[in-house]
Amino acid sequence: MSARSLDTTRRGFLKTGSGLVFLIGAGGITDIALAQEVQTDPASLAGWVWIEPNGAIHIAFPVTEMGQGSSTALPLILAEELDANWDDVVVEQVHRDDRRFGNPLFGNVLYTAGSTGVSGYFGVMRQAGADARRVLLRTAAARWQVPVDELQTEPSVVVHDATGRRATYGDLVVAAGALAQGQTPAVLKSPDAFRLIGRDIPRLDIPAKSSGTETYAIDVRVPDMAYATVLRAPVEGETVQSVDEGAARETPGLIDIVALPDGLAVVAETQWAAALARNALDVTWTETAEARGWNDTDTLASYQTQAEDLTSDASTWRESGNVNAAVEGAKTVVIATYLSDYAYHAQIEPMAVVADVKADRAEVWAGTQTQSWTMRTITEELGLSAEQVTLHMMTMGGGFGRRTALQQEYVRDALLASRAVGRPVKVIWTREDDVKHGWFRPAAAQHLRAGLAADGRLQGWQHRVATPSVIAYFNPLRWSQVEPNDIISMRGSESQFYDIPDFLAEHVITERQARVIPWRGIGASYTSFAAECFMDEVAGAAGRDPFDFRYDLVAHNPRGRALLDRVRAMSNWDRPPEGRGLGLSFAGYGNSMAAGVAEISLDRQSGSISVHRFYAAVDAGLVVAPDNSVNQIEGGIIFGISSALHERITITGGQVNQENFYDYEVLRADQAPEIMVELARNTEPPSGIGEAGTPMVAAAIANAFHALTGARLRHMPFTPDRVRAALA
Amino acid sequence: MITIKLNGQDVLSTAPEDTPLLWVIREELGLTGTKFGCGAAQCGACTVLIDGEASFSCVTPIAVVEGAEVTTIEGLSEDGSHPLQKAWVAEQVPQCGYCQSGQIMRAAGFLADNPNPTREDIRSAMNTNLCRCGTYNRIVRAVERAAREV
Repeated sequence: MSARSLDTTRRGFLKTGSGLVFLIGAGGITDIALAQEVQTDPASLAGWVWIEPNGAIHIAFPVTEMGQGSSTALPLILAEELDANWDDVVVEQVHRDDRRFGNPLFGNVLYTAGSTGVSGYFGVMRQAGADARRVLLRTAAARWQVPVDELQTEPSVVVHDATGRRATYGDLVVAAGALAQGQTPAVLKSPDAFRLIGRDIPRLDIPAKSSGTETYAIDVRVPDMAYATVLRAPVEGETVQSVDEGAARETPGLIDIVALPDGLAVVAETQWAAALARNALDVTWTETAEARGWNDTDTLASYQTQAEDLTSDASTWRESGNVNAAVEGAKTVVIATYLSDYAYHAQIEPMAVVADVKADRAEVWAGTQTQSWTMRTITEELGLSAEQVTLHMMTMGGGFGRRTALQQEYVRDALLASRAVGRPVKVIWTREDDVKHGWFRPAAAQHLRAGLAADGRLQGWQHRVATPSVIAYFNPLRWSQVEPNDIISMRGSESQFYDIPDFLAEHVITERQARVIPWRGIGASYTSFAAECFMDEVAGAAGRDPFDFRYDLVAHNPRGRALLDRVRAMSNWDRPPEGRGLGLSFAGYGNSMAAGVAEISLDRQSGSISVHRFYAAVDAGLVVAPDNSVNQIEGGIIFGISSALHERITITGGQVNQENFYDYEVLRADQAPEIMVELARNTEPPSGIGEAGTPMVAAAIANAFHALTGARLRHMPFTPDRVRAALA
Repeated sequence: MITIKLNGQDVLSTAPEDTPLLWVIREELGLTGTKFGCGAAQCGACTVLIDGEASFSCVTPIAVVEGAEVTTIEGLSEDGSHPLQKAWVAEQVPQCGYCQSGQIMRAAGFLADNPNPTREDIRSAMNTNLCRCGTYNRIVRAVERAAREV
């Protein structure tokens, strides 16, 4: 088993020039062909799976790998139903915008986001494997003149028990002959027959990632390649007014200085020469952009005013019953406002792209979360057709949402620089570029209002989220289809795991005053902070335990109730260790539920919070890769702690104030708590694991802080100054 | 012209002497297992051993390492068989993997000095290296495993 690039495979494959390709669409196998007939276009990956006479089983990998482990989990799903020997499997990255391999959850756009790798492709890839297996069974039946229902498969072998005959999959594809196909989809395995799904099959990418041999876009080297760095306008909307290039032009190794719409690309023979030349540039920027007026504290104050003004315009995100009547008729009304700052992705591989642009063609190496929008960026920028572009989707040194936009300026940088100098160019963003020109999780102000009935039960819940539309900025094409419903800005505020008859979540769509884009957990990374802190505040107003109060609301949701029970037992909730506070949160992502308890302590002098343990019970439906899922949840929790305690982008006069990891703090090893994760095991549809760990975290910490101190933290991140202010 | 002993072999660099070792390794010498992350000794993605000590190659001018022994992830083993690399696989540590060369090199330098570390020793030593995917606890377990097996 191995993962290799399509280029290599193509050559080997064309040489053998035979085997079977299974062309499988959403409705099952549409055709089966001898490989040599369909592989006439060497750039095309024709089917979900093809099998060579030597037994190699190539499985298409339709999403991109940023650390989530889909490059193992998705092929494994197909291999399971094909009953393939996993050691025979070769994973084939889909490098093109080929909608036959698109994600059904995104209208067949090739898009790796929203924890939809497994959940989006589970059905498609199971069916593809099952349909391909049926073809092999029928081939063997015809060859041996036996009824097909007497045949079984063992890994990569068809077996006829009665006669002891066996044929490997490779044997069967040599001369498949006439292949009667079923019009109906082949029957899928029963989950109790799974050999691969649900087992801890090691990730295919880990050996290369443990030996320094994995190749990221930043590592790509092609002949005659030059290096570039980009000096970009410090404020959105500005451009170069004038430039004194004198000193920069004299830098040894400089090739050219290329004008970009928002800056200058400095192209040189080495990265270091490009950096030196860039430092020598003396640029005067225009100073007319509206963004010059952006300041994060003013922005958030304005959002807060709009969130708290119940008469200001809002679009309904989720509604049931009559929240106004319920709250106004309640015995007690609780209100609170929560704030959260901009957050940066801080993926450790900064933006880096290699492009080789010629007059009538281009070749590009990039690590992004979407073949579709990267290809669109290239074809639109260069005026080429997709057929004139060779795209290599590279594994990413972290994504977390940063690499999802419709128009990808980091790709554009490399295209324009290469076109200008007539050579392949690698553009690497410095860390400072990556921070200062980052696109961020939006700042948000959230106002919540709830009623309590005389018996202490919840009576009405209103959640107003004042934040910009993220979709309108990062993907205007999509916004034209979904406006005014912005799942990126709003996810989580629907509080769908609770049964609250009188409910309203609404989006106060505020003015965008920064570049905004999805960030791990999207809206839920802040809406669940507000909702689950508020749940504890309301429980407190009712004089009730946080678990007991939530139990009322999950009577309809036995899976959720089980998670609460589980995390209560795991965390020894009723007996917190001396000097520690425990805090509960019940959130998740999409249909994946996560109940978490944080165990914290506090240094009251400094205002510094330490998270010592984090307990999580997670139900994401059927789990394809258990150990990797635990790894994802652990990572999601670390991400959530980092965001809750440290991460903050500030903006003054339209400029991002932070520049590197010394002033944008990311959680380090000595601050990482012990993490205990339990996954529910069931056969419900898989619902995604990559983001499910993050949304619960901030509220669990804030609620633990309240348990310890009696004070509330309502502004994320909980920096020491904010903690001290809360205690004052 | 500067000579260094890279992964056991003498190599020459013609880079200007203020060029960071990182770029010499990655561009001039073509070994890309060592990563660029921050350029400011903050994240540790660029960690290599210089005369056995884990160091930030992104802020180390090439002139400073004249004559020194430099070990990168490629020099740890030919085939990923170093105990740390095996432990990384056994504990299924990496997610995106981008920081992991640096993590492994940091651990290699640390274990050479402290072959029987406590868990707290490991956390403290590994504090120099960021992992945005959040694999810290697995890194600690892998270092413990490698320490047991060496």
